[in-house]
Amino acid sequence: MDLMTRRGFALSADTVASGGAGSSELSARLKVLFETKLNAAMRMYLDTCARCGICVESCHVYASMPETRYSAVGRAEVVRKIFRRYFKVQGRFAPWLGEVLEFDDDTVRRLYDAAYSCTGCRRCMVHCPFGIDTQQIMGIAKALLLGADQEPKILSMLSDMSVTKGETIVDTRDAFAQALGNLEGEVLALWPKVTKRADGSPNAAIPYGQQGARVLYVALSGSHSMVNAAAIMNAARESWTISSFEAVNFAAFVGDSAKMKLIAARIVNEAKALGVAEVAIVECGTAYRVMRHMMGPQPFKVVAFVELIARYVKEGRIRLDDSLLEGDVTYHDPCQIARNGGIYEEPREVLRAVTPRFVELTPNRAENWCCGGGGGLISMGEMDFRMKSSKVKAEQIAASGAKVITTACENCHSQLVDLNEHYGLGLKVEFLSAIVAKALIS
Amino acid sequence: MGPEAVSAATEVAAGAVSAGAVSAVSAASSLPPTGLALVLAKVSWFIVVPGFYIALAFALVALVWRLVVIFRAPPPPFQLAIYPAPRSAFGAAMRDAFGMPQVRRKDPVFWVFLMVFHIGLFGIFFGHVDILPQVSLVREGSRDMIGAGVFGLMVTVPVFWFIGRRFKSPVREISTPGDYILLLLLLFTFLLGDLMSWGNSWTAQGFVMTKADFATYFDGLLKFKFEDPRVYLHGTHYHFLTLHLLLAEATLMVLPFTKVMHAFLSLPVNVVRRRVWT
Ligand code: SF4
Ligand code: SF4
Repeated sequence: MDLMTRRGFALSADTVASGGAGSSELSARLKVLFETKLNAAMRMYLDTCARCGICVESCHVYASMPETRYSAVGRAEVVRKIFRRYFKVQGRFAPWLGEVLEFDDDTVRRLYDAAYSCTGCRRCMVHCPFGIDTQQIMGIAKALLLGADQEPKILSMLSDMSVTKGETIVDTRDAFAQALGNLEGEVLALWPKVTKRADGSPNAAIPYGQQGARVLYVALSGSHSMVNAAAIMNAARESWTISSFEAVNFAAFVGDSAKMKLIAARIVNEAKALGVAEVAIVECGTAYRVMRHMMGPQPFKVVAFVELIARYVKEGRIRLDDSLLEGDVTYHDPCQIARNGGIYEEPREVLRAVTPRFVELTPNRAENWCCGGGGGLISMGEMDFRMKSSKVKAEQIAASGAKVITTACENCHSQLVDLNEHYGLGLKVEFLSAIVAKALIS
Repeated sequence: MGPEAVSAATEVAAGAVSAGAVSAVSAASSLPPTGLALVLAKVSWFIVVPGFYIALAFALVALVWRLVVIFRAPPPPFQLAIYPAPRSAFGAAMRDAFGMPQVRRKDPVFWVFLMVFHIGLFGIFFGHVDILPQVSLVREGSRDMIGAGVFGLMVTVPVFWFIGRRFKSPVREISTPGDYILLLLLLFTFLLGDLMSWGNSWTAQGFVMTKADFATYFDGLLKFKFEDPRVYLHGTHYHFLTLHLLLAEATLMVLPFTKVMHAFLSLPVNVVRRRVWT
């Protein structure tokens, strides 16, 4: 059974195979949509694959549920078959050679199955001899699903809400400031001192709207993403301020590049208006990758919050108690921060400061198995699929013998919590920021 | 005709006489072909002379067109690199494209066959270039193509293995009819090529169609003489040459439209994976 059916989605009336003028119009629209995605790299990805099969076992979904459609090449072939049909000579003269796919209901189902079983971890890209980026190819699938109005509605809804929230920020500014004030106690419980303003007066525990602050910290909506970070930055005597916006970018999950840019651009504009030197992104892999690698050059530096912590540790700006954690402690490299973001060593440096018993997962770094929660799957629910498709992850964690698993991504954390429970791993799942905040000593 | 070609031609003539000239009958026949034989002779000539030009021109134009379409497309809107970032993106991409370390780590046997195959391809390319009388990459007067048939085997044997691999899971499930047809096309082109460079010498007198004969044919192609090479390419194996040409031309013509484009794209696509710019 494909994911779309299993998830109880029914194709809407306006599908490509519904007949009449609407269907051919929709096909034509989807073709145009496809074409907009055909940049030089994408054309190479679509033309180069030798179907050598090297990437098949790279995907955690295939490794856990060995079905061809869950391999990187199996997924990409769905898009490639449409490409051959509409953009290649072969599609016109010998469609059977490449088993081409027309835009119809079955193709839409296959696109859905491919795109929303892929977490966009890009582990397959490490192993492909050509470096074919299946996440990008799935970007086409997601765009086509959006065009056919068959994307997971929860993701587009969350993405729209994010956009709307940003539009009403002026009206909600006071309420937000008040909510931040309510968290003051929790922050002070972790670190009792606050930073000073430029005029020497004490700052709020979570400074907001501070013109000229050095760091703009972009959190999520959950208080944990603000409290721990605030305590750490206050302990490091950082000049910082919190962003009005959430870092999370649901539009990236649903493949809506225009909205993705819109959501991220508001943070860019805020950072420019405040004149900050650095924008630190909360522990959220996708938000970090979007801001750091997808928004072009900016007048400020973009860092993941874990980089900031590592810097504080290195410069001696925070001191940490390394006796709080019991048993071996391991680290899960979030795909978007590590393999796709380049942050490998900083979290390890931080962990070595909070425990003498740091152990690596095997494999790790670029080779690490994806947790199985990315690509929007956590927000979509998908518990059954997420657990089945991440069996290999659970086995990897169990083999480490660790008692605590840490990570630096909200999605990964949620997925690891679910895996821990589902597979009875008996671990503690922690955010890096949380264990650092608890370990702060003066 | 250079001195080595003359001496080789003399050797062949002597060989043909001592063999009773049976195999050279059709080439040296004094009776012009008629009827079906005439049609076949014309078809054969078309394949080995104009067909070659048509296929080569078509392949080059199509290849340039395909590459222009790809490289004139807008660049990717953001960085698509994988970390850790190498010291030199181009150096790393060269290693990826020519050394295929990813395949070596995942499937060492496949890697060995791939390396042998690709080195063999270079070998047969230079082997063909070396046949031109204007080029001499090996000892002057050598009767063999470069590698004396070894490069032919280096491409043929792996293709058998690739076909076998494609029949097995999980590669079988991701294969399309085009993948099999392309491999079969290559296989038969190579087998017939082996017949020219190797099997063609399995007579008491050695090569029936000699390197010098092929040199004359290649020279004719190079100089657009449009003469029928049957005049100097002797023996019944000539028909295999025709078939070899036919399949090679078909391969050339479909190349720009198939995944063989990886021959030209492997390096640039690997640069995309390795280049960190944000
Ligand atoms: S490893 Fe790369 S070339 Fe081989 S099948 Fe996978 S995507 Fe295609
Ligand atoms: S990006 Fe990750 S989830 Fe998607 S196909 Fe590649 S390995 Fe699988």
